[in-house]
Amino acid sequence: MRLVLVKRVKPLPLGGLVIPGASIVIGILISTVVLYVISRADPLVTLSCVASALVSPEIVLTFLFLTILGVALLVAFNGSIWNIGAEGQLWLGTAAATYIALFTTLPQAPVVAKVAMVLTAMALGGAWAAVAGVLRAYLSIDEVPVTLIMNYIAYYIINYLVRGPWLGKKTWGYIRTDMIPDQVKFTLLPGSTTVTYEVLVIAVLALIAVYFMLKYTSLGLRIRILGSNPDALKAAGVNVKALIITALTLSGAIAGAMGAAQLAGYLHRISYPIESHTANYGYTAILVAWLSMLDIRAVPVAAYIVSALYQAGISMQIAGISSASATYVFIGAVLLTFTVLRVFSEYSLRIIRG
Amino acid sequence: MTLLKTYNKDFSSKNKPPVVSVIGISKKFPGSIALDSVDFTILEGEIHALLGENGAGKSTLVKILYGIYVPDRGEIYIRGRKARINSPKEAIRQGIVMVSQVPQLIDKLTVAENLILGLEKYGFITRVGKVRYFIREKSREVGIEVDPDTEVWKLSYTQKQLVELLRALLLNAKVLLLDEAITFLPLIEKKKFYKFIRDFASKGGSVLLITHKIYEALEVADRITVLRLGRVVGTVPRSKVSPDDVRKMMFAERSSQVTYERLPISTPRESAALEISDLWVMGDHGDHAVRGVSLTLRAGEVMGIAGIAGNGQKELIQAIVGLRRVEKGRIRLYSEDITNRSVSKVRIRGVGYIPDQPAKYGLSLENSIEENLAMLPSLTNRLINWGSIRDLARKLIKEFNIMTPSPKTPVKFLSGGNIMKVLVSRELLVARRLLVAYNPTRALDEVTAIMVRKFIKEKASTEGIGVLVASEDLDEILQISDRIAVMNSGRVVGVFSSSEVVRDEIEKLMVM
Repeated sequence: MRLVLVKRVKPLPLGGLVIPGASIVIGILISTVVLYVISRADPLVTLSCVASALVSPEIVLTFLFLTILGVALLVAFNGSIWNIGAEGQLWLGTAAATYIALFTTLPQAPVVAKVAMVLTAMALGGAWAAVAGVLRAYLSIDEVPVTLIMNYIAYYIINYLVRGPWLGKKTWGYIRTDMIPDQVKFTLLPGSTTVTYEVLVIAVLALIAVYFMLKYTSLGLRIRILGSNPDALKAAGVNVKALIITALTLSGAIAGAMGAAQLAGYLHRISYPIESHTANYGYTAILVAWLSMLDIRAVPVAAYIVSALYQAGISMQIAGISSASATYVFIGAVLLTFTVLRVFSEYSLRIIRG
Repeated sequence: MTLLKTYNKDFSSKNKPPVVSVIGISKKFPGSIALDSVDFTILEGEIHALLGENGAGKSTLVKILYGIYVPDRGEIYIRGRKARINSPKEAIRQGIVMVSQVPQLIDKLTVAENLILGLEKYGFITRVGKVRYFIREKSREVGIEVDPDTEVWKLSYTQKQLVELLRALLLNAKVLLLDEAITFLPLIEKKKFYKFIRDFASKGGSVLLITHKIYEALEVADRITVLRLGRVVGTVPRSKVSPDDVRKMMFAERSSQVTYERLPISTPRESAALEISDLWVMGDHGDHAVRGVSLTLRAGEVMGIAGIAGNGQKELIQAIVGLRRVEKGRIRLYSEDITNRSVSKVRIRGVGYIPDQPAKYGLSLENSIEENLAMLPSLTNRLINWGSIRDLARKLIKEFNIMTPSPKTPVKFLSGGNIMKVLVSRELLVARRLLVAYNPTRALDEVTAIMVRKFIKEKASTEGIGVLVASEDLDEILQISDRIAVMNSGRVVGVFSSSEVVRDEIEKLMVM
């Protein structure tokens, strides 16, 4: 008797739901075992942490951030452009918004200032991603290392600014910027301490706009075809170089918008050094994008689950059950299981006797 | 001893033992049945042709024999023993090796390095030398020389296909599956390959030649099996059939549509659709592929470019649509200079383009027919109106009889000929002023090919667009053209009007 993988003629029906769903369940089960083995965490406690995280209001902000970033990554990923740089793009968005809030006179008109914060954040995030786009389009330099390296360049530029020209006056010895003026802070939802109207609007707009873009515009269609056959696009008369740059720019711009929302709705200032203050949403969003199987309708679902796992790890740490790494155990186990199970979307397992 | 015996056996006798027997094979694809209870047998030492129109199921059957697809029902026997072939690796282990239409070689590696990949039976140290020797010997025998140490990207298509065949021999193939592997070779080199496979068969090997070209099957095969709509119509010995018989088996009542008569000459308009003057274009290997070509194509006229592959036709056509840089000279489209304009600028002016490699430069196989229509800037605005695109797709599917479950099916699920039909129909649609094509009907069966030629001709004469068709198939050129230009070594060596053309003269100029 042998087991053989046979290529499916058609992808598994409902594979887009079944496979991520199964990966999450199996990944969580693996995590409970791993956490039990390494830190004697009672499996039932672990599971209850996960269960309570799923309904915890704490996860809403992370969920919204990851949704925005997941959407941002999907713009590029659908064209097989692997933007690993959402982290840098979002932080530059944060920096751009900080500049508007602290060093211009715009905050005197709060609404204008808020809009300007988001738009400059999008412009800077987009421009940052466009650098990788230009290198890829004109010099065929792989965007993966470029976008990854540029994350660190972004960190260090901001670190420089925060230690130097942007250092706050009332910081009690901390190395950080001043708080942004109250009037440009985003408006909290009633009953929430972290979630704002504005971030909700940005998430919904990003989701709808990108869904519409991918489905109903020639730009979206071309980005999708870019992922499978750029040569055909070129022969059809599409400017492929411009397309690559556009896709990366849009991706970076949406990530930048999330950066502005993070500043105005939650952080209110930038603290030095970035690399130890960041929640690494830019990287976590890659998991969201993969779990969605590049289908934008699945992005919120994936973002919800990833944010719950993120929260479960944090609450286990707070409860002293496990170390800070619990979050990464969950996320790693799910991603690994998903990577394995994805095979079954294209292949089926058959048992052969004899 | 056994080897000697095999050599001396008389393989023309009728007592050849079966090597591969296929019994009751069925395979369903979403929305269509690709194969329906197919039975057939390949004998030892025979060349067996598998013929069929586009979408008849030829490729599906071969992919099953090579372990790429697993059949839904049915059995395969190899030398009388039931076999389960569920991967190409297993097929190769059983002595079955496939050579497809697209070379599967790695461009950056040398010929020898490519051949060593996957060969396990040679020792670690000796193998490079052995392989090198083998390549030199065999390629000399066939008459298409290949240097074992050249990188594959420098080879011509013919040389690549030869390397693929050598690979099959090195893998110790007993049964060669040639999936349109020879169909697209230039005529002269085809003959050398025929000799090669006859030689292989005379030594006891078996060849399954998959083709949609009747003449190819009749030229080289011992027996011919015809497939239609996934079923075996019959297996006949070559000596007992005429081309017409086979054609009837392939197309049934539609076979009467096959004709090689010249299509009616269209009346060219006054204006020049395309003027090319003293054009120089670089080839892939750093030398000039097009050397001072000058041509004028009138609106409403079909000009054929005859020539053996690799004489600059491909580069000329790529230069016209803007895919290749012009070094010197001018290209004018209805008096407007389009020299070195980008593809988008040229195409948006109503230029249709049917490229040589449809799967690479024509369509995106992962996407649907609808999406492949909508990807053209000349068919959509920024916002896509999917409703009208769908109507358009339905219209083309109907007009060109494209066999597809729906306009939303990814093109990769269609057969090779149907993929080509999608491309041709789309490009005819967008060619408002000029159509340039390279081998537009190469992947199509006779009935479809003739239909496409008629469509092209009709478009030229009724809508008055200029058509430039380069083709390696002289029958096609003779059938479709109002004027014929012969290309050789990057130059136009003769222009004939179709009323005064002599076939022999063209052939002479082609090989001169």
